[in-house]
Amino acid sequence: MPRILDVGCGPTKYPGSIGLDMNASTAADVLCHLDHGGLPFRDNSFDHLRAEHIIEHVADIIATMEEFHRVTKPGGTIFIATPHYTDFSSFRDPTHRWHLNTYSFLYFYPGGMHGRDMWYTKVRVREVKLNLRLLNLWRALGFEFLVNRSRFFRQFWEHYLSFVIRGKLMEFTFEVIK
Amino acid sequence: MSPAGQADVLCDWTRTPFADSTFDEVRLIHMIEEVDDIFRMLAEVHRVAKPNGRVVIMTPHYTDHASYCSPAHRWHLSSFSLWFFGEKPAEYDYYAPAQFRERRVHVTLLRIWRALGFQFLVNHFRWFRKFWEYYLCFVVRGKTVEWELEVVK
Repeated sequence: MPRILDVGCGPTKYPGSIGLDMNASTAADVLCHLDHGGLPFRDNSFDHLRAEHIIEHVADIIATMEEFHRVTKPGGTIFIATPHYTDFSSFRDPTHRWHLNTYSFLYFYPGGMHGRDMWYTKVRVREVKLNLRLLNLWRALGFEFLVNRSRFFRQFWEHYLSFVIRGKLMEFTFEVIK
Repeated sequence: MSPAGQADVLCDWTRTPFADSTFDEVRLIHMIEEVDDIFRMLAEVHRVAKPNGRVVIMTPHYTDHASYCSPAHRWHLSSFSLWFFGEKPAEYDYYAPAQFRERRVHVTLLRIWRALGFQFLVNHFRWFRKFWEYYLCFVVRGKTVEWELEVVK
């Protein structure tokens, strides 16, 4: 059975996972605060790690990604869901420290920094899948299909359109490279 | 916190020297966008304010240029950013135990949008404010958000 860690699991833990949260009145199996020290697991402990609506809250995204990368096996996957910075929800929560877009994790991709590896971190992940959601109206008009279908269109949308045709949720699946 | 202003009391907002339930009104004008922890700040405000006391909070809307003008601004907020302190699912009490009742929310927009009636609509219809926040506010941009809250103890 694959070993799964659900970071910031809240009241509804991902089925079959170990739940981790800072709040004891959740479905957490392990209590841990991401900003106060690392994850209490050995290297390469998990096949799959999930962090839904977590990364926009942490004090240090790079240190947090380093911990996610450390506890996930080589070839394992990390699922991250977080609001696009043009969504209403990115600004509704007064504990959101970071406002991110579909390129925010290029920092960790091989060659992600203009062809070079980023030299401030050793974390390397590959983007296996990105599912971007837009508001209902824009989905109905076909824009969500286009941004997910075509990399070129996504770039055009990020550069030119996204303050009008606003994003909603980004769901990344990364493969861990070690 | 700075002696250069007109402060009567110098202190760090996390440890104000006041007894519980001291004030009828607490005003936070262009303040919460700068503190390191909004939840802790409002917990302290809740402590020093009297039951049913008034709390007035003003902050730039995240689509206003002023939200990005100061390097001391840590948070970029919308007119729904204080929903945590009102009625909410019980699991959120862990994050924001202090309770307030929202008496009034007032949004100001830039002059041209005010002249075209958008400010009136945003402030008179909650559904329009929501629509504006979701779909319009990067074009019809906001300026300030002002809340009037009542302390629930």
